[in-house]
Amino acid sequence: MAMMPKRVKYRKFQRGKIRDRATSGNSVSYGEFGLQALTKGWITARQIEAGRVAATHYLHREGKVFMRIFPHKSISAKPLETRMGKGKGEPAHWVACVRSGTMLYEIGGVEEDVARGAMVRIAAKMPCRCRFVVRRHGL
Amino acid sequence: MEIPTIKADRRTEVGTRVSRLIREQGLLPGIIYGHGETPEAFQLSAHEFKLHLRDGVRLLKVDFGGQAGDYLIKDVQYDHLQKDPVHIDLTRVDLNERITVNVSIELRGTPKGIADGGILDHILDHIEIECLASGIPQTLHPSVADLGVGDALTAGDLELPAGVALNTDPDVKIAAVNLLATKSATATEEGDEPSSTEPERIGGRPEDQGDDSGDSK
Repeated sequence: MAMMPKRVKYRKFQRGKIRDRATSGNSVSYGEFGLQALTKGWITARQIEAGRVAATHYLHREGKVFMRIFPHKSISAKPLETRMGKGKGEPAHWVACVRSGTMLYEIGGVEEDVARGAMVRIAAKMPCRCRFVVRRHGL
Repeated sequence: MEIPTIKADRRTEVGTRVSRLIREQGLLPGIIYGHGETPEAFQLSAHEFKLHLRDGVRLLKVDFGGQAGDYLIKDVQYDHLQKDPVHIDLTRVDLNERITVNVSIELRGTPKGIADGGILDHILDHIEIECLASGIPQTLHPSVADLGVGDALTAGDLELPAGVALNTDPDVKIAAVNLLATKSATATEEGDEPSSTEPERIGGRPEDQGDDSGDSK
């Protein structure tokens, strides 16, 4: 099942604007290695899931993959061949708003070269530029 | 371990704009405090400081134009990519006083439980210890080779160097070997087709669930 919230207060969102850069959720917190977004943008639930599947497939179910983002925002769309007007379209899919610096995925329990290979495959599914990071121990 | 010396300049101007200008010149703004004295703002070479930081240095001898003192690196703030330091905090320290610091933990060895299908969880990557300022261990390297599935390494199990006391709860888990939650291969790897169901609305009446406007009139 595609990722989406279980309960929402409002079904439809305004488009909004991704301002500034990530001030939280921008460090490796759960695993040993991470994939960090270098540009801002919307990442759809399908892309997030595709990244997870690519990593799980590459890792042969070794190690642990942590997804640090969740699609909280619904994006509405009008059906094809519909005249303008008649109100806002129905929610079509869900996206995560990602700021530059946000940690997208983390991997733990595997060697660095294996984690790097998995992250390359995840990055290929992402709509933004990404970089591989290793957890910083100490200061 | 010898304490590295780094040259720095005191500064009187403080604030975001000034700090930004300092960084553009390849310098790093910082502040010194502690021992009940007045805080002092300073700046030093960013490149030189990064090299020391990479070597795991905790104590610095800062030279303010011939007047040098020993300082502990208390905190380092990084940019939004967690890549380059943007500000540092130093605290005045006497090499013979006991201080409380966080020390990172790097696990060594491969747990034997991994052969049985377990996975190593590194739960805590640093602990708080109390030691002499001159004898801060750079990193602790506990071995996890003996951990089987279901076993855990706690803070109390750590072998600390002489003169170092643990300031963390000894029962806190540092690493554990757990079995991975098993799911069916299809569900884990391929995922299911997206469902057309929508999330439940909080506070919405049942008849409002499919309403376009989301308002009840």
